[in-house]
Amino acid sequence: MFIKVLLLYLSVVGQIFSDENTLNQISTRLVKSLIVQGDFKQEKKLKMLNKPLISTGKFTYHQHKGAIWKTLTPVSTLVLMNESTLLTEQGEQAIPEAFANVFKAMLSGDFKNLESHFFVMATNHETSWQIELKPKDELLQRIISTLTLTGDTELRSLDIAEVGGNSTFISFDKTTHSSQLSLEQEGDFEPLQP
Amino acid sequence: MILNLYNPKRNALIWLIGMIVVGIFGYQVLTKNWLETGFMALLPKSEQQPDIAKAIQKHNEHNNKKVIWLVGAATSQEAISHARQLKQQIEKSQLFGKITLEFPQQQAVKNYQQLFSYRYQLLDSKSKMILMTNPEQLMFQNIEWLNAPFGQMQTLNFEHDPTLLFSRFFSLQNPIKLNLEQGIVILPDRNQVFALLLTELENEQLPLDKLEDLLDLVNHTTEQLKASHSELLVTGMPLFTAHGSQSAQQEISTVGVGSSVGIMILLLTTFRSIRPLLLSALAIGSGLFAALIISLLFLGKIHILTLVFGASLIGVADDYAQHFLCDSFGEKNWNPSDSLRFIFPSLSFGLLSTLLSYAGLSFSPFPGLQEVALFSAIGLVVAWLTVVLLFPLLLTGFTFNHEPEILKLAIFWERDLSGWIFKNRLWIGFVLIIFIVGGLLKLTPKDDIRLLQSAPVELLQVAEKIKKLLPVTRDNQFFLVSGKNQAAWHQNEQTLLNRLYALKEQKMLTNYEGVSNYWMTENQQRENYQILKQSLYDSGLLKRYMLELGFNKTAVKSEQQKFAEAENNILSFSEWFASADESKQQLWLGCDSGSCQSTVSLTGITDIEKLKMLQKLSGVVFVDQVEQLSEIFARYRIKTSALLAVTASLVLVIFGFRFGWRNAFGIMSIPIIALATSLAALSWFNQLFSLFNLFALLLVLGIGVDYGLYFFMAGNRRVSTSLGVILSALTTLLAFGLLATSSTEIVHAFGFTIAVGIVAALISAPLVGRFSDEL
Repeated sequence: MFIKVLLLYLSVVGQIFSDENTLNQISTRLVKSLIVQGDFKQEKKLKMLNKPLISTGKFTYHQHKGAIWKTLTPVSTLVLMNESTLLTEQGEQAIPEAFANVFKAMLSGDFKNLESHFFVMATNHETSWQIELKPKDELLQRIISTLTLTGDTELRSLDIAEVGGNSTFISFDKTTHSSQLSLEQEGDFEPLQP
Repeated sequence: MILNLYNPKRNALIWLIGMIVVGIFGYQVLTKNWLETGFMALLPKSEQQPDIAKAIQKHNEHNNKKVIWLVGAATSQEAISHARQLKQQIEKSQLFGKITLEFPQQQAVKNYQQLFSYRYQLLDSKSKMILMTNPEQLMFQNIEWLNAPFGQMQTLNFEHDPTLLFSRFFSLQNPIKLNLEQGIVILPDRNQVFALLLTELENEQLPLDKLEDLLDLVNHTTEQLKASHSELLVTGMPLFTAHGSQSAQQEISTVGVGSSVGIMILLLTTFRSIRPLLLSALAIGSGLFAALIISLLFLGKIHILTLVFGASLIGVADDYAQHFLCDSFGEKNWNPSDSLRFIFPSLSFGLLSTLLSYAGLSFSPFPGLQEVALFSAIGLVVAWLTVVLLFPLLLTGFTFNHEPEILKLAIFWERDLSGWIFKNRLWIGFVLIIFIVGGLLKLTPKDDIRLLQSAPVELLQVAEKIKKLLPVTRDNQFFLVSGKNQAAWHQNEQTLLNRLYALKEQKMLTNYEGVSNYWMTENQQRENYQILKQSLYDSGLLKRYMLELGFNKTAVKSEQQKFAEAENNILSFSEWFASADESKQQLWLGCDSGSCQSTVSLTGITDIEKLKMLQKLSGVVFVDQVEQLSEIFARYRIKTSALLAVTASLVLVIFGFRFGWRNAFGIMSIPIIALATSLAALSWFNQLFSLFNLFALLLVLGIGVDYGLYFFMAGNRRVSTSLGVILSALTTLLAFGLLATSSTEIVHAFGFTIAVGIVAALISAPLVGRFSDEL
């Protein structure tokens, strides 16, 4: 019993000390490419609603250009994102650097800047991995309690838990890689060009 | 009477008592804060309509105090920690009254809560439009919003704002979205991020020594941050002012040292005695001192530019000293009292004509010009009094019997050069006339005040970069909107803002801000409520939408009840205003008898003509300070030019009565040739010609008259007169002509004008005697 507890303790401590290391290990497991694309399903639970808001669609991430978030159901909309702005059909919004960072990190598999904005807890299992992020910024802390990323050789899900009880769960599926954008994707990125 | 006038000891005593009295007053006034540096103080108050002046003042109050600091680093964490250190350093300097790094969130929260109670009365114009035409579409948009990734911020208050209409309205209250981290504004750039620090001076006008402290602080912290691999960008009006006054001061003092050394060598080698040097310095020094003290007694405060230009104009007094000193040349039994008797008329006429030209300045409504006129008139009179009252005693026993090197130059110039010119007067005159007429014909004034600004390129580049990163800095131009009551004002401003919206879409400007976009009139608030009632609450659309999204029935009922209860809520202007943030409050000018006024600020103007055209809207005035100031400058340039002509004619008339018309024309031809040549040279050499050159021309006029007079009254003492004139010309050239080497445009133009004018007066002056001899 004692040995078990000790081992557990050591593994926890070990984990805490080696988070950066673990992040690197996870990063190396992920397939890297210029462009990642796939399907997503987003489930938003708002505490005053008795059913979740479910949307599905396609995402594209380009290392240099940013991301396309194309919702197909229940309504079709297009959201574009780069390092500083979120562009919707209703106008432009600034997004916190921390958020932009997570989005970039999770889609590119490059985790090195995560720790400047979050307290990171990473665990690397044989078949899967999990990264838990808690915001360092006070303002963000008031809204977001935890961001959880899971995956294997690909990113599989993102869970956003809000302080107020709302949550958003996004799962990723049919992820593929390529080195060239389709014509449609090129067109979608157009409004983000300076 | 004449005997009394030439009693050296008693006269010296009178001078001494006078200076002691001035000194006592000086002790009183100089211990107070007496120097003014702000630019606005120079401008006529009656020049602008009072409401425009008030609006300008309010607009500038804000802009003139603000200094913006951006600390850049690779990550926001680093930028923030550097910015915190910077804040401490700025605090230590005690230069600023207000330093903001963390932007207080409570204010925004309070503002949100307060406006939230009026949410059914407040609609942004776009949502209002959609509600009136196609309310279903609005609900559709909501579903888009709710499904967007990272929509957490927008849906925070979804429970109490199920239509998200208040979210929309509130987010438009702050049209520019800035990222906050740890309460600090973070601005992303290409390879780095910047943390924003805002500081405000306590007072719009910073004393000179504090301006230097500000520059030191900026330079020091910039170096420091560079050493720790980050970047500091700083901009703000105080910084421009500081740079301007620093470079002007540096140049004036370098030139000052250079010219002092030159003048000392010149006077020492000429007289081989230190007495003339000390006496000249004493004459000008006491003139300056008395001018400063007596002007302060009258005005309380004196502007730095008055000091610079006024001091220059007092330089004419050097003529009196040199004329007196050189009168002794070659006389065996020279006696200063006799000499004074001889030169007293020419000294006095010289003074009179110069005083006349300065007196003209005091009739202009330009406070700056009045100050200069008063200052230099006092200075000249006191310098003249020093020469007349004190010199006879202090020059007792003074002899000037050796032949100084400069004598050769004086003789060559007075006899050979002017003889040659006289012989060749036909073609020289012809060339001169072509030079003058050609120059004057193509002389184009440049009144744009931006040309006078000589900010270093780096400073302008930084300002430009900051403007790009932080598109909130307001431009100098703005609209003044008025209406006979609050409703009329609101309507006028809304019409203007709609037009500006269209111009913004066409990229004629990047942003604009007006109070009426944030607060609605009572009627509009009632109208908004009715629109909501018809389109959403009574039509059943709200109920359907809420139930479809998954709200339960009680939530729907409670929302409908809250709506019904809020029917008679009205957000009054004063309540809105009290909670609005400072930058919005600054836009409101208030209501007084029969008129309400506000300003609409503009950012990133690219097409000023299009904006100017909006003036035809009712109650709208476009205020362009740069253009207004330039216009004032142009008007005063013209007025002062006319004044110069009037003064010259007046002096001519006086001389005409005193010396006869032919002689008067002879004397006056010297200053007139000097003025014309100077103006023509400005145009041939492509120099800046503005109001400031006219100060120099006034000096040229005064000096030209002196030279003409001295030669006219020289009689058989032409050699000593030419010595005096050439010495005074050389000292004036050393003192002011050297300013032509300055890189500050105003100072340079000033020096250039004087240099050309003096040289022209010098070359032509000896012709005065010749003409009357040989004609």
